Amino acid sequence: MSAPAPSSVSSELAARLATIVGEARVLARAGELRSYESDGLPGYQLRPALAVFPGTREETIDVVRALADSGTPFVARGAGTGLSGGSLADGTVLLGLHRLRRIISIDGDNQRAVVEPGVVNASLTRAAAPFGLHYAPDPSSQTACTIGGNVAENAGGPHCLKYGVTLNHILALTVLLPSGEIVALGNGAGEDEGYDLLGAFIGSEGCFGVVLDVTVHLARNPSAVRTLLADFTSVNAAAHAVSAIIASGIVAAALEMMDAPSIQAVEASIYAAGYPMDAAAILLIELDGATAGIDDDVAQVVAACRAEGAREVRVATDPADRARLWQGRKKAFGAMGRISSHLVVQDAVVPRTRLPEVLAQIQQIGERHGVRVCNVFHAGDGNIHPNIGYNASDAGESARVHAAMSEIMAACIAAGGTITGEHGVGLDKLAYMDALFTPATLGAMCALRDVFDPMHRANPGKVVPVHSCREWHGAASSRAARESR
Amino acid sequence: MSDTRSESVAARVREARETRTALRIIGAGQWLHAGAPCTAERALGLRDDGGVVAYEPGDLVLTVRAGTSLAEIDRVTRAEGQWLALDPHGTNDGTIGATIATASAGPLASAFGTPRDHVLGCTVVTGAGDVVQAGGRVVKNVAGFDLVRLVTGAWGTLGIITEVTVRLRAVPQRELTLVAAISTDGELEAAWRWVRASEVAPMAAELVSPRLATRLGMGATQALVLRFGGNAALVDAGVRSAATLGRCTDVDMRVWSGLRASEPADGFVARASCLPSEVVPLWRAVASEAERAGGFAHATLGRGVVRCVVPLDEATTNASNGAAGEAPARFAGMIRGTIDAPPRTTWIVERGVGRDWPTPPHDAARRALSARVRAAFDPDDILNPGILIT
Repeated sequence: MSAPAPSSVSSELAARLATIVGEARVLARAGELRSYESDGLPGYQLRPALAVFPGTREETIDVVRALADSGTPFVARGAGTGLSGGSLADGTVLLGLHRLRRIISIDGDNQRAVVEPGVVNASLTRAAAPFGLHYAPDPSSQTACTIGGNVAENAGGPHCLKYGVTLNHILALTVLLPSGEIVALGNGAGEDEGYDLLGAFIGSEGCFGVVLDVTVHLARNPSAVRTLLADFTSVNAAAHAVSAIIASGIVAAALEMMDAPSIQAVEASIYAAGYPMDAAAILLIELDGATAGIDDDVAQVVAACRAEGAREVRVATDPADRARLWQGRKKAFGAMGRISSHLVVQDAVVPRTRLPEVLAQIQQIGERHGVRVCNVFHAGDGNIHPNIGYNASDAGESARVHAAMSEIMAACIAAGGTITGEHGVGLDKLAYMDALFTPATLGAMCALRDVFDPMHRANPGKVVPVHSCREWHGAASSRAARESR
Repeated sequence: MSDTRSESVAARVREARETRTALRIIGAGQWLHAGAPCTAERALGLRDDGGVVAYEPGDLVLTVRAGTSLAEIDRVTRAEGQWLALDPHGTNDGTIGATIATASAGPLASAFGTPRDHVLGCTVVTGAGDVVQAGGRVVKNVAGFDLVRLVTGAWGTLGIITEVTVRLRAVPQRELTLVAAISTDGELEAAWRWVRASEVAPMAAELVSPRLATRLGMGATQALVLRFGGNAALVDAGVRSAATLGRCTDVDMRVWSGLRASEPADGFVARASCLPSEVVPLWRAVASEAERAGGFAHATLGRGVVRCVVPLDEATTNASNGAAGEAPARFAGMIRGTIDAPPRTTWIVERGVGRDWPTPPHDAARRALSARVRAAFDPDDILNPGILIT
């Protein structure tokens, strides 16, 4: 029962939306919509029929109800920093939520905050700082991305290794279903009972509804932090050091790897962090917690790196030094953007013990297709981000990049991994869903989507391939027909 | 990868579906009176469907069949210096499948989270008889909609969990358990402040009522039990910090298994939860009531959760009001909100004996969503019908 996507939005609907949010907050001209044709992954460009930007909770509710009344599909969007093409609207309505940026309350005693979906990730942490608290999930785009987008994608980040992903930090949501109904999920003041619809909603990539407010858990700032930079002459040695650290039982706050091309791109940019230019790979390792015992853990990690052949391990305790080491990592994709006109960033996860072998395979795949693969990633989670800079106007090069990426994904699946650890499926990973999941599993996902959005109006065509849902609905109705006989 | 054992469960579900026979899904069978009364006619036991499917210690990930006991998981993982940091109530004979299905958590949840934070993937047989592979075997995964969270805590009503992949942790280099007697209101306030603010966070901090302290051999006063883990310097610092609470005594680690096993096989068990800042008044109201009714209470202070246990005899004797899962009358009143408990308390009844169970305070839209989820995954209402009130 998918609603057909209208090729355009009726003038009546456009006028109704304008009365809700004001003329200036409804964009319909091609030139105005250009900024909304892509997200952080420039390989996809799709133009919405119209973009609407409510400024308050009430306006958002009225807009979604107007869309429901007219049966119009829509795509919610935060800051548009996503890396899966998930927030692109193809001839439908784009619902921008970045103006809903009120921090409603911060309860320092109970380590929680209630925020609107358009609040920028890093601003929440800034607002929590006077309480000695921070919001733990820290995607690399944290200075721009919104909490609403983080909830939709179940966003991660370097520090998720120790602190967990978005799912582990959300206590409650108020959700506006695509039908316009409002529902409270989770419990911001105690335990929750019944089906974990909060958990099901987080990471649903805008297919289940729109978030009106988010109750988050805030983590206490650690009293001691150490950031280590370990320098290796081979990627393989660095990957083995990762395994050794994990096996030691020390839970690093973050454990990141960058390979030579990534290091060189960063060091040639304004984000230069002082990484060794001749290293084949570096590990950026952060340990945090109580002051007592932390230096014993540092010593153990340093020893593990040296045992795997690290040339040097630098330990930074000064906040300015630590920030500089991190800047290079967090801005790595930006630094690579200087080198090529387009950059495709992949996101996959493999079992941590398989990292050395999968990284070697990725290297070979890149060589075979004549593309240069760089690796900057969350090694401690086995969450890799192979990325390739290229020129999208060169059709031959684009085809080679695409072929290499498909092989890399196949290698990750074959190693027992998954096709996305934190960027989401969106449009970009749709083609891999059949390789990863059985038809029955995809059918169950379709059934779950139907619960929240039976008309498939919210972010249509994303996450689960449309054909799986058709097959599922086909099978379910033939089953029903068989049983009714 | 073909999983013949899950397929055989699926065949049994399809057969039950054809004959409209409701199934009672059973792990070790230790908690048959947990959850609201279930009206199923036929038992489907999973205890014999146990064993390790895959274990790569270097990945800190373990895949087991759902019938595997927690004791077996403990044995297998400790041999590699690892553990599953979950301590649900009951004994280690309980199965991992039941632990995930009921989302049962114990004192360790304050440091390591509840089952939803540990499960990476599971195989589930839905009420339609489909074998669904939810999640995966890696520690980070956002591929598709989150069916893992959906079935965790669903009490088997959306599907029968047949295989589970969990995240493991390395066993701490050192562990230590301390008990501090908490005799006065001032000491209770100080204990609460310490738990909220201590630089060295314990792995567990559980407040126990006098009757429970007695049972656990820790003297007859209310006490705070602390579990520290980490490297030697960190544990030492924790011990020094805890000394500010008054006289602390080292106790055997077995106090934690004693706590888990302290609950009678039959009885009334409910959890009251609130904002952590409000847990002290909640504790005062609820723990004294549990003791008066012949039972006991314990609280995970950092999570704001108080667990009340009243053995069956006392529960039934006191249940003259016959309500809210046959709680002792005053608990039933608190759950219904007719007797003063601190405001903004959430009550979850885990076990009881009666049929009048409290309804969760969800809005109409959430109740409708829950009903639709149930209808989508168990269209004929044959999986543990009645056990979970949504």
